[in-house]
Amino acid sequence: MTVQPRLAGETGSWRASARSWYASGDALPFLLLAPSIVLMLAVIAYPMLTGFMYGFSTGTLLKPGKFVGLDNYLRLLQSPDFLHALWFSLLFAIFNVIGCYVLGLALALLMNQDVPFRGFFRVALLLPWIVPSIVSIVSWRWMMADQHALFNQIIGAFGGSPIYFLSDQNWAIAAVIVIKIWRSFPFMMLSLLAALQGIDRSLYEAAALDGASRWNQLRYVTMPQLRNISIVLCLLMTIWTVNDFDTPWLLTQGGPANATENLVLLAYRYTFGRNDVGLGSAVSFITLIILMALVVVMLRRQRER
Amino acid sequence: MAYPATSTARRWSLFWLLVAITLVVNLPIILMVMNSFQTTEQLVSRTSILPHDLTLANYRYLNDRTSFWQFLWNSFTVSGVSTVTSAAIAALAGYALSRFRGRLVTGYSRALFVVQMFPIILALIPLFILFRTLGLINSPLSVIILYTVVHLPFATWMARAFFDTIPRELEDAALVDGCSRFGAFVRIVLPLSGPGLAAIGIFSFLFSYNEFFVANVFLKDQSTMTLPVGITMFMQQYSTDWGSLMAAATLTVVPTFILFLGIQKWITYGAVSGGVKG
Repeated sequence: MTVQPRLAGETGSWRASARSWYASGDALPFLLLAPSIVLMLAVIAYPMLTGFMYGFSTGTLLKPGKFVGLDNYLRLLQSPDFLHALWFSLLFAIFNVIGCYVLGLALALLMNQDVPFRGFFRVALLLPWIVPSIVSIVSWRWMMADQHALFNQIIGAFGGSPIYFLSDQNWAIAAVIVIKIWRSFPFMMLSLLAALQGIDRSLYEAAALDGASRWNQLRYVTMPQLRNISIVLCLLMTIWTVNDFDTPWLLTQGGPANATENLVLLAYRYTFGRNDVGLGSAVSFITLIILMALVVVMLRRQRER
Repeated sequence: MAYPATSTARRWSLFWLLVAITLVVNLPIILMVMNSFQTTEQLVSRTSILPHDLTLANYRYLNDRTSFWQFLWNSFTVSGVSTVTSAAIAALAGYALSRFRGRLVTGYSRALFVVQMFPIILALIPLFILFRTLGLINSPLSVIILYTVVHLPFATWMARAFFDTIPRELEDAALVDGCSRFGAFVRIVLPLSGPGLAAIGIFSFLFSYNEFFVANVFLKDQSTMTLPVGITMFMQQYSTDWGSLMAAATLTVVPTFILFLGIQKWITYGAVSGGVKG
């Protein structure tokens, strides 16, 4: 008899304090964010910490190994495969970002003019971006698969000798980059077009009054206005390219002779091919560090300006 | 909008230039669709680019001899469920980002950036080991969980952009009338953002439907494979059967195209606003 009211009183006060917390207004943002925070902890934070630990140990997908300190990282630094993957990731990112930015900007400038059926073109030029990676690779592979494929028939018609796009190392690298540019430029075009349409018209009118040519308007009005969005877009594209698995894997599986193997493919091969979780985790952790360093440097520079 | 004094001749020359560019750019896709109506023998022996003697043989082969429909069904299930979960979670988080300030919200915004640049391979290794002990390998659930998180930054930024366009006065009025904050969100803001939520949903669906990497790691069994993984299996098994491969790829893009037409006018919303506002 004496216990029950006290307990009820306790739950009551717990409820009351919960209610007052909720009423204070601090609770709602927390509750709104709670589901996504839980998911991010489980799918991003937990693997990030475990992956970090795995990087310092041996072990396979089936059973954990023992702690080996910096051994995996030291092995990587001496491994030609790793250095090549690092180099290819860099090359892949630089060429793709430059390629898809230039192409995207050119098309955005073209589409920002008064063209009939502009809406149609805006949709039609986005197709390479929205088709599934597997579909784009199947369609491109057919055009460059062997000496009888379309590209080689065209080269043959002009009297050239066939090019083995997928079995020659340099051509395979070029092919992966070209296809990646093809898959990425629509995003650049779309975002830059939106930015172009947001530029204040009066700036152009003022420039025209001062007698600026079209080129000078582009150079001194358009480009400075696009600066910030361009930096953000190129940063995003760099991240996406470094993290790209689909394009090189589906086209060449990293071959020939690992020529088109980037860091992600290497981590995948070490982990799921060689069953070496330690090495695979070390490679993917290095990838994360590189990307984070890039983002921090870029954002800091942007804030300073 | 555009430069004021454009002559008709200039407009139409630009038009034809864009027609040419569009054709060249989409050539791989156009050829793929045309080739899917040719048998592999016709493809190999053909000398012109344009197809002749169209046939449905490849499609019949896909229907009779492969598990194409099973793959398609798996893709729809995985994408459907992950769309609903990610849209719901992103709507809640997007509302918090749109209406509240404070350390929690700022910290969360930063976390979204980390998710955006996270090399997913780093998550796949520990999760593969974890999911194996939980028996989640070859289960659609594994892929659904990952997709939900991977979509989170994009979907949240987009949701936030939509909520930003809804005037706060509407909620304030509801609060005065005795509605709770959350009640105002559910009764006032959500119904108004119907089209926005639909766009977020279609985006998430497209991402999941197109995704290859995660599905390739977790779905090893034919009965659970999604389409992109299933097609790579065709690619390895019948590497020279271009006809069927093209037909499978063509059928795969049909849902993509249909959904894409539904959202094309929303597309710049999330893509740009997320990146710029942060």
